[in-house]
Amino acid sequence: MSMARFSPFELVLLNSRSQVDTATLLLLAWVLVNRQHVSEGQRRRRLAQVTAQFRHGHELGPVMSIAHHQDLQAIQLAAEILRKECSQERSLSVLHQSITVATDDGDLSLANHYILRFLADLLNVTPTTLSTLFYELTGRPLTSPEDPSRHAYWQRHNPDYFNQKAREAAAEQQARDEAAQQADEKHQQRKQKKQRKQQEKQRQQEEAQARQAHARQERERQRQRDDQSRREQAQREQARQDRSRYERAQGERRQWQRTAPPPDRTTRALAVLGLPPGASRSDVRLAYRRMAQLHHPDRFFTESEHQVALASARFQRIKNAYDYLMQTY
Amino acid sequence: MRDLYQRLSLSPEASEHDIQDAVMRCPNSALRQDAESVLAVNEHREAYDTLHQTLNDIGCLRARLGLTHGAHWQGDVANDFSLPPDHAISRHDELVDRVSNAVSLYNRWRRWRGPWLLVAVFATGAGIGVVMGFALCLGLAAG
Repeated sequence: MSMARFSPFELVLLNSRSQVDTATLLLLAWVLVNRQHVSEGQRRRRLAQVTAQFRHGHELGPVMSIAHHQDLQAIQLAAEILRKECSQERSLSVLHQSITVATDDGDLSLANHYILRFLADLLNVTPTTLSTLFYELTGRPLTSPEDPSRHAYWQRHNPDYFNQKAREAAAEQQARDEAAQQADEKHQQRKQKKQRKQQEKQRQQEEAQARQAHARQERERQRQRDDQSRREQAQREQARQDRSRYERAQGERRQWQRTAPPPDRTTRALAVLGLPPGASRSDVRLAYRRMAQLHHPDRFFTESEHQVALASARFQRIKNAYDYLMQTY
Repeated sequence: MRDLYQRLSLSPEASEHDIQDAVMRCPNSALRQDAESVLAVNEHREAYDTLHQTLNDIGCLRARLGLTHGAHWQGDVANDFSLPPDHAISRHDELVDRVSNAVSLYNRWRRWRGPWLLVAVFATGAGIGVVMGFALCLGLAAG
């Protein structure tokens, strides 16, 4: 037995004509205090309005101030009284009142989500009953409360802050990029000088080769001329035979001619490696090394199996192209 | 709603520096991101703290009223804000005890006709004082 003084709520309770009404009053005030965007006067008026039928017979002021202090012991006392003395119908009407008080104009605040559920548990009201009651009173289903402990909640409710942050990050990134670009340009200039020297050397070699090739070509051309006369004779005969077949297939052939002629296999293989037609063998090897590193399936090991499958398909294509080029070049 | 303080093993009054430290040390990247966008921003932290306080209160109330396994108390909230039942006596019983104590005191007071008793006690006290003073005076005069 403690000899502490009576707390304000206990005094109010002792002066009250109906303890249940006073306890309900405190819990409704608690709900009201946790409602947002409402002025103090509006709160008092609303509380007086809802509790017009109550028989407590004391002022609302002290109860409201106790609720403002979020006095846990007083609220516990009120909850105990309510649980002890509330009938089934009374508990439904208390819940009804607290829902109307919590959602007059619209949204249920997060704190009230949890307070209403606490009251429902206290008054032995099942979740289905609570949600039907809520739906009937507000015309909206009772959703589960949002979670402000998550990143997504704040992204939805305070997008300005995140936009600002993203902008700052972008500016920083840009500054870093510019610095990197400058370094890159210097590097490239050095590279270009080196390339120019190499090209000079190559041109001299090529000129020497071209002179040798010219003599060889002269000899070949003579032989080709002889071959051609023989071949033309044979072709003329074959053309006569083929004419009927040719006419049948003409429709298809016209379509074929309209589209661009397909690039030959070497060009396609070079395109797979990201090279222009006429790239050198060493270029091909370099490009293959780079592409193989970029698309190797082992790099996608940490991601999904689907990614690995896609990467291995790409890698196979690159390898095929490289093999072909190495054989023919 | 989760208790980020509990999950980062911080106290709700932790300073910004402590929070930064704990966030850096946190091995769970999702939790780290959440803590960064909730606790590291003052505005967000204030809103979060208000709700955190309310939920702490509700958890405490539920523990004392035996409602920790209620149908409406589930998921993250129930995991993070449920407290073990403390052995605080029921407030209502306490009130009844206190009122009956006050009543018995009052009754005893009335039964012994308290005001008269008080006057009698004062009168005897005063009489004894006078006698003692008189004796002291006599002693001093004789000495």
